[in-house]
Amino acid sequence: MIGVTDKISDLDPANSYDFFTWEIHQNTMDGLVRYKIGTTDIEPAIAEKWEVNNNATVWTFHLRKDVKYADGTPLKAENVVWSINRVMRINGDPAWLVTDFVKKVTAPDDYTVVFTLKHPTAYFLSLLCTPPYFPVSPKYNPDQIDHDQTAGGAGPYMITHWVRDQELDLEANPYYYGNKPKTEKIVIRFYQSASTMRLALQNGEINIAWRTLTPTDIKSLKEEGKYPVIEVPSAYIRYACLQTVAPPTNNKLVRQALAAAVDRKAIANIVFQGTVEPLYTMIPIGMWSHEDVFKEKYGEGPNLDLAKQLLQQAGYSTSHKLQIQLWYTPTHYGDTEADLAQLLKEQWEATGMVEVTIKSAEWGTYLDYARNAEMQISLFGWYPDYLDPDDYTTPFLESPANNWAGTRYNNSHMNEILQEAQSLSDQSKREALYKEAQQILAEDVPYIPLIQGKLYVVTDPGIKGVSIGPDMVFHYDLLYWSS
Amino acid sequence: MASRGLGRYIIIRGLLIIPMILILYTVVFFFLRVLPGNPVMAVVGAKNIPPEQLKALEHMAGLDKPYWVQYFDYLVKLLHGNFGVTLAFPMGKPVWEYIALRFPATLELTIWGFTFSVLFGLLTGVIGATRKGKPVDTGMRFYSIFVYTLFIPWFGMMLQYFFGVILHVLPTSGRIDPGLHLHTITGLYVLDSILTGNWDALVSSLRHIILPSLTLGIVLSGAYTRLVRNNMVDVLSQDFIRSYHARGVKGWKITWYALKNAFIPVITLMGLQFAILLGGAVLTETTFSWPGMGTFLMERIDYRDYTSIQGTVIFIAIFIGFISLIVDIIYALLDPRVKY
Repeated sequence: MIGVTDKISDLDPANSYDFFTWEIHQNTMDGLVRYKIGTTDIEPAIAEKWEVNNNATVWTFHLRKDVKYADGTPLKAENVVWSINRVMRINGDPAWLVTDFVKKVTAPDDYTVVFTLKHPTAYFLSLLCTPPYFPVSPKYNPDQIDHDQTAGGAGPYMITHWVRDQELDLEANPYYYGNKPKTEKIVIRFYQSASTMRLALQNGEINIAWRTLTPTDIKSLKEEGKYPVIEVPSAYIRYACLQTVAPPTNNKLVRQALAAAVDRKAIANIVFQGTVEPLYTMIPIGMWSHEDVFKEKYGEGPNLDLAKQLLQQAGYSTSHKLQIQLWYTPTHYGDTEADLAQLLKEQWEATGMVEVTIKSAEWGTYLDYARNAEMQISLFGWYPDYLDPDDYTTPFLESPANNWAGTRYNNSHMNEILQEAQSLSDQSKREALYKEAQQILAEDVPYIPLIQGKLYVVTDPGIKGVSIGPDMVFHYDLLYWSS
Repeated sequence: MASRGLGRYIIIRGLLIIPMILILYTVVFFFLRVLPGNPVMAVVGAKNIPPEQLKALEHMAGLDKPYWVQYFDYLVKLLHGNFGVTLAFPMGKPVWEYIALRFPATLELTIWGFTFSVLFGLLTGVIGATRKGKPVDTGMRFYSIFVYTLFIPWFGMMLQYFFGVILHVLPTSGRIDPGLHLHTITGLYVLDSILTGNWDALVSSLRHIILPSLTLGIVLSGAYTRLVRNNMVDVLSQDFIRSYHARGVKGWKITWYALKNAFIPVITLMGLQFAILLGGAVLTETTFSWPGMGTFLMERIDYRDYTSIQGTVIFIAIFIGFISLIVDIIYALLDPRVKY
């Protein structure tokens, strides 16, 4: 029995675009390929092998012949084509992950699927690991979002019972082509508050407390020592967005000074009680091409001397202080957000030449302000769509893809680098380009990376086999009880 | 002709619900649109979704229509008894399905919590009034203030910790044990398990409702304690009580008569409390992961889900309208001073 504080949006990959629902999809469906457990390497899943043409625009996949849906119907190439076309037709929230890349998808025979792409995409296999590309059961409504469809796909589990916001029961899919799940039955319970979930774990109502306990709960459960607290790296990052077109943050020196004055260790330890790691670039720790560019350029922080020097160059002094506004949103990123804003304010004001006004807006409003670039500095977070440095650079640094973030950052050299990196299939060449992009990021500072999250699973002592992939998906099928 | 008068009174009071709902709808509709942001943005806003697709999603949700068109579209739907579909997380699910899932949970919690609060309130109030000025009375008055000031999440967690984590006798969250698949008819789990003869589910749902309704009941009982005590004290000092005493009527009988006389203001408070509870007890729901209306509404406001908020608010308003109608009728029947 697993407890979560998340909610399921749609049991339909054509419209679900949130972390936890994707996890349920990953456990009840399979894609053509998947991440090898514990790595970012891609391994065969429904497709046993594949080929790609020279410029990464035509991808051909050969399917296994023994794949069946949970009701025993065989899964063939036409099902894959139908599912992907369905996502494009419905055009829901995550559809851009398909429509932006795929021109057409065809099934020349029962066990071959061919994708023709709009432009060369080196990381297409990472995209295939996302639920919009998963073949779903023909029981899904062909033209409409099927909010509560439990038929799923051809994954290790099938859904046997579903009461929205209360309970979801999974049972092993008897026709699964892969290894049988080690635990036959999984029950997921939905909680509205993290502290209730913690009490439920202590009362034995659930055996695993998953997303998301508060830093305080994690710390105290760790100290208590009765329940194993399992720590997993995650690709979730937090950062500040700096508006680059209007004064005073349009001045690069100001942005650099702010970057230099940040003390990430203090943020990690005080605000998040040591449950996160300091982050010195936008590409997360553990992903290829990651480089601590902000540490190289500004030191580990806080580098107050450098910050003061930069502020002086920008024309500010202790009598003529830089006035800036820092925005946060109170609930979307958890209760710790106000503390994060307060601490950043203190760190910047420690230069003696900055005066920070903290402002907050509730999520819906906040996003509107961001798109209209109305906030000088704002705090945001990012979960990856697909595991590739591209997903941590293009959406932020390439204009106009970064319009949502409200920095209005537009550097033509940066745009070129990122476009070139997308079209190359040679990873070492791409790596060089992403490293260059990060250097420019540290120089231009349209964003200040702050911290990278970790994931925590707290379990009954008897539970083993907790396995969370680099895509942060919990694979329930590997869980087991040790006696 | 008292009966015809009462009939007319009921009809007029009933018809008054309609303009009330219309005003409420108008206010909610425009307040929601004045707020920056929209439902599509609230779900995918922090992602680099291409602007064209953002437009397409807004079109799908009907947000590109002029406000007055949206206003009347929804009003027409309402007249057909249709509460519309959700606009975010997920988009396009009938709001009614959510209400049908969430409202029974709220109603069940309301009924139990309300019953506990009235029981505790009456008991403590009567005890206080009949021992006026004695330490017991002071104790009851202290009780009423103390419970009134309790912070629900804290008090709820104390109960959860004591009965759940320490004693392991009661579950701390949810409405029923997972794995017990109750066939729902009314959505009130206790009632449904009796109707379907599912005794395991009955035991489980009763065990689950104890802590949340006790929390709610105790915190709300404080208001009744004071009201009942003060009214009882007034009634007990009146002449007819003294004449009961003089005739040697038994003590508990006198208390009963006095309570009946002290009851009218209590009914008013009961009606109000019941109505407020139907809007959802957000704090209790959150503390006990009780999937009711309060948390649903909060969540929908976060998503800027216009139709869900409108639909939920109107549904609750209609329900409350009828409850207050019923309270008014009871009032009219009990109190000859009410004119109709």
